[in-house]
Amino acid sequence: MAKLTPRMRNWLEGLGAHIGTATKKGFPTVIVVDSAKVVGDNIVKFQLTDAQVEQIKQNIEENPRVALGPGGLGSIRAAYQFKGSARLEGNTLIVEVNEIYCTKPGPEAALRLDVLPYESIIKFENTRWRDTGPPK
Amino acid sequence: MKLTDEMKEALSIIGGGGAVVHLTTCSADGKPNTVAERFVGVFKDEYIVIADMFAQKTRVNLFENPIGVITIAHPVKGRTWAFRGPTTILQEGLPPDYEFHGAVAKEVLDEWGNWAEKEPPSEVPPDIKPPRLVQRGVIIMKVEECYSYKPEEAGKKIL
Repeated sequence: MAKLTPRMRNWLEGLGAHIGTATKKGFPTVIVVDSAKVVGDNIVKFQLTDAQVEQIKQNIEENPRVALGPGGLGSIRAAYQFKGSARLEGNTLIVEVNEIYCTKPGPEAALRLDVLPYESIIKFENTRWRDTGPPK
Repeated sequence: MKLTDEMKEALSIIGGGGAVVHLTTCSADGKPNTVAERFVGVFKDEYIVIADMFAQKTRVNLFENPIGVITIAHPVKGRTWAFRGPTTILQEGLPPDYEFHGAVAKEVLDEWGNWAEKEPPSEVPPDIKPPRLVQRGVIIMKVEECYSYKPEEAGKKIL
């Protein structure tokens, strides 16, 4: 079960994410939302505009799988990728994160984090990054 | 689809003024994958090139479903563009006249085959400095459309 660490929450809530969606056959569409709300262990909620809902509504209905890459400065410092399944409730996109990967260039690229014990993930973060979230 | 001068500038400079982008690809059965990329460039006004150094799931995706989306991640500076088009990875070892949607492999690899040497990441802060950068190829996208990802007008066609 994926559990987001405080560092992951801070970066997602502060700067949002690039959300990749696709048709069942794999034609991708990406929307960008610049903030989010993380609820519980692994639920991330995004507020979408009508235009964004229109863009991805069909995709989410036929293929609920999404990939999240942290936005803004997070694309460099919060080197994670979150994958999960999404549903739309009105203009709110609710993503249940099932997989977390490290995307730091080097030997940790593609390392799957959610299968590690939670304390190991925290230790992994502390030894690699000094910040715990975006600059205020 | 020719990129505008503003787009070319945003996508051509490493570090400082240029952009970190998110490259989104999908598996053949529709599972999306998103990664941040820093070594970005423009080839012949119509293609966006990215160094392939650590791509793993992206590689598998592109070999079974050659299409991608590139979105500007940081710094955005109002450049809320999403580029989409056929995408593949050109690698050393391909026949020199191998062509992908009009781009000849040899030309691309001669220019960008060893990107870390061409533009070393000198401005990266020490705590996230990458290890020795070994490059395997160049990811290339032929831009067929560009839309805006600005929330109020998401999906609006620019090119």
